[in-house]
Formats: sequence, structure tokens, C-alpha cells
Amino acid sequence: MSDRLEVALALQVPGFTLDVAWSAGGGVAVLFGPSGAGKTLTLQCVAGLITPARGRIVVDGRVFFDSAAGINLPAQARRVGYVFQGYALFPHLTVADNLGFGLRDRPRAERARRVARVAEQLGLGGFERRYPRELSGGQRQRVALGRALAIEPALLLLDEPLSALDAPLRRALRDELRQVLRDVGTAAVVVTHDFTEAYRLGDRIVVYDGGRVVQSAPRTELLWQPASESVARIMGIPNILHGTVIKATPDRIQLRWRGHVLEAVNSPTHSYLPPPEAPIAFFIRPEYVRLIRKDRRPADTAHHMNLMSGVVIADEDFGTTWTLRIRLDAPGPPDQGDYDLQVEVPHLVYEILEIERDRRWEFSIHRGSIHVLPS
Amino acid sequence: MSPDTTSALLLSLRVDALATLLNALVGIPLAYLLARRRFRGRALIDLLTTLPLVLPPTVTGYYLIVLLGRRGWLGAPVYQLTGWSVAFTWYAAVVAATVMALPLLVRTAKAAFESVDRDLERAAYTLGRSELRTALEVTLPLARNGILAGLVLAFSRALGEFGATLMLAGNIPGKTATVPLAIYTAVQTGEESTALVLVGVLTALSCLVIVAANRLGARAT
Repeated sequence: MSDRLEVALALQVPGFTLDVAWSAGGGVAVLFGPSGAGKTLTLQCVAGLITPARGRIVVDGRVFFDSAAGINLPAQARRVGYVFQGYALFPHLTVADNLGFGLRDRPRAERARRVARVAEQLGLGGFERRYPRELSGGQRQRVALGRALAIEPALLLLDEPLSALDAPLRRALRDELRQVLRDVGTAAVVVTHDFTEAYRLGDRIVVYDGGRVVQSAPRTELLWQPASESVARIMGIPNILHGTVIKATPDRIQLRWRGHVLEAVNSPTHSYLPPPEAPIAFFIRPEYVRLIRKDRRPADTAHHMNLMSGVVIADEDFGTTWTLRIRLDAPGPPDQGDYDLQVEVPHLVYEILEIERDRRWEFSIHRGSIHVLPS
Repeated sequence: MSPDTTSALLLSLRVDALATLLNALVGIPLAYLLARRRFRGRALIDLLTTLPLVLPPTVTGYYLIVLLGRRGWLGAPVYQLTGWSVAFTWYAAVVAATVMALPLLVRTAKAAFESVDRDLERAAYTLGRSELRTALEVTLPLARNGILAGLVLAFSRALGEFGATLMLAGNIPGKTATVPLAIYTAVQTGEESTALVLVGVLTALSCLVIVAANRLGARAT
């Protein structure tokens, strides 16, 4: 599939340099990364609110900007729907006038029809004559989205569309927004610093850090194959660990960690072949560590891959799950401060295994659950 | 009321209305440009429009004579061409009042424009509005109360204008003697009753202005 959206731009503002290039094929692309990474600046360049020093921006074959060819469409001509962080609703206009603001040049009847359709689509029927200050946070978000959709944009840009809402509403509206974006089928770029939001909303996730793109991948690929340790850290992945390579082949990587030999699956698509004795970073998802029940036959390495043992030195209750901090039975300093591994178990498991009382455990990790991070 | 008292009042109202109108026409666009655009000479314009606020009015009046007087930089060519000079006409009183009042409007309106969220203007651009239409449909309505407050201040400043008017327009009864100048003359010549009437009228007007400004302030928040 050809890319519907191509973005390459370079721009310097005092104290910050933005230099990014990525592309996406329809659907929703999420720009994900910490605050101050250049995500909003990118949106403003795509919308034509800021002119980059160099670059090229193409949407569905329309060239918005091309510094080499001297093309720079004004924001007014780009037909891009922009949902601002904080929504930027016109406080002196009613909901209907906000929704219809981009349709001022259309005939009155058409404008009214489209405002009515957008209002209905977003569940704003009956609120047309209210002013923004008389709406709830969720309704404001919908008006902002509706105002951008009413112009039937070639591209939707959403800057932290949910950050102004409180948590329960944010979850509900996240799924609603996902549905609306799927329904209208308009290509969209969403900016967020929340990985769950990025994963729920995006087809492709572009990871920003310090004004650069550190990875751009379909969302599942990003989830399981972060391109580097720094990407994994930006994603907030727990249990990023450091060992030494023993042997790497295209399908397996053997590594030494805290006195144990671990076996990991190498990436089938992007095999990583570091030389023996090279340092290597990898991560283990806390919910993929298997505690071994003591009432079954003794654990052995033939049945249990990557078998290790250790002591629970701390545990925390997260409501539906417990997070255990385990220190391995191995000499030397633990990998993550005072513990080696974070393990997540459901409440039920925590109770059945009586972990509160019983702190010493053997556990195993399937080789498919140890993910190496290229450096 | 004596004919001079009445004419002073009428003259003051006429001068003040015109000065306020000129302030609106010049000051509001100027304030918008100073708030929203970065251009060459911006700092200079900012300085020039603030200076009359800080300088003694007689100094501003002196500069106005240097600029517009019969032998002034602008005044001399006009006088040679037409035989007419603005100095010592009632138009001079308008010019003096306008220049003296402009800083108050420009500074207040500029702050009002600056307080409008820029994302609102950006939203209007993405929705197809030109900068001019955005300024008229979004920025101006949202800055309205601040601008009106600035106009009220400009109006009252123009009403009380004395020093620069005296320098450029003189104190010609029935022609350039506005209420503040007429009060001065009345006190100097011992016409106590005339002075009292004019002072009373100015005080009443000033009270009205304060009430109006407070109402606007309350609505702005």
C-alpha cells in the first residue's frame, strides 16, 4: 500500500531542533513520546501553522510543503482538521456556530445540514445553542472533534485529545474516539504521551524523543519489538535488564544474566546478531513470569525453560493484580537496585499460592517472553 | 451659563469625540499589530506610542509644534502649499488630545489582544479563515471588553488634556479653549461661578467614566 501521509521536516527553535521523517498509510498514526519531544511542533507544521526550515509534507498526493520545490500551502488551503489540546473552542460562539465555523462560505442550507449531521454523529444533538462554557469536558472534546470533521478534512490532527479529561471519562472517550476515527475513515495523526492511548488509538506508532524519530512501526510490532533500550524506556516497559551474549543465531540468543544462562527467541523479522561477550539489553514482561507451584513435582530444567529462584522482597497491591519484586539467589548486586525482577500475578493466584506468607519461589520464563533490545 | 462656558463645553465634547474616534481607528489596529506581529520598527513604534504617557504634556506639545507648526517639518510644506496651518485651530486640540490619549488605548488594547489564546486564531486558520477575518471574527470580539476599557480611558484622558493642547492650539475662547483651559482662564480672571460650573461638569463626567470602566472590568472577568 502506498503511503497516504509523508512527513519529513527540519526546524530549529531556540533550544530545540526538530528533525524527523516518517510516513503512514491511512488509518491512525500516533506520535508518541515524552513532553517536549517535538510532537505538537510536527502537527503545527503539517497544519501549516508553522513553516519548517526544510522538508516535504504530502497528504494523499497533495503536496502541502516542499522546501526544494518552493511549495508552501497556507493553513487555510490545506483542509486539515485540527483538534487542539484544550480544544480551542470559540467561547463567544454557540456549539452550532463552532461546528459550522469552517463552513462559513457554504450555502446556509448545506451548512445547517452538515452541522446537524456532525452534531448527531457525535451525540451533541440538543446542545446546539449552548456555549462552550456550559458543556462538560467530554462534550467540549466532541465539539472540537466535530468542528474539525465538519469541513470533511483530508487529514485529522489531534493534539493530546484526551489529556484534559479525568481518568474514567478518558478511558470511555478513548474507545469512542477510536470508533469515530474508524467510522469516518479519514487519515489521522494523534499526539499522545500515554502508551496505552497510543496503542488503543493507533495503527502505526511513531516514537519521538528529543526532536527525532527513534522508531516508527505498526503498533503490535512496537509492543513486542522496541528498536532499542531507549524506545523501551520511553514506552515505560518494566524489567529492562542487562546481560552478556553467549551466542546469537537468527532464531535464538543465549545470554548470561545474574549467574543464569537464559535462552531467548531472536526476532524473526529483524534478527539481531551481537558478537559473544557483548553486553545486551532485554526485557521480560512482568505478567509473563511463571511462578512454579510447590505442590507439583519438583521443577526441572527439562520442563521449565529459564528456571530461576529467588525471594520476594516487596509486593504492591494494584487492585486487580499484585506486583512482586524478586531478588534472585545469585551473588552480586541485583539488576534493578534492590531487586532483579518485577512479577505481576492476579489477585486469585496471589491468594491461592499464599504469597503473602510464602516468600521463596522458583519461577520460569518461556524463551518467547524474553525480548532482546538491539543497541 | 455664559456663551463662553457653553462653547467650551461643546468644543470639549466635539474634540473629545473626534479624538476618541481617531484613537479607535488608529489605536486598535496598531495594538493588534504590536500584539501579534513581529516586524521591523516594532520596538520604535512601541516606544513612540508610549512616550506621551511618560513625557510632560508640554514637552509632547513642543514636539507637536516642531512637527506641525507653521515652520514645522510637516507644517511648513503644508503652509507654503495652502496657506493654512493646523496650529491654533480647533483641529490642533483634536491632534493634541489624540496623541495624548493614544498610549492608554494602545497599551490596554494590546494587553487585551495578547490575552486571547493563540490556539483560537490557529483553529480559525485551519478552518479556512484569513488573518484579517480571524482578527475580526475571533480576536476582536474576545478582546472587546479590554478594548472598550481602553477607549474609556482614552476618552477621559482626552477630556482632561491641557498642556499639549495649550502648546499647539492655544487658549482662544470660543475657538480652542476646551473646558480644562476655560477653567484655568476662569480662575485666573476671577470668574468663580464659571469655574465652578465647568469643574462640576468635568467631575460628573469623570464619575460616569469610572463607573463605566468598572462595569467593563467586571464583565471582562
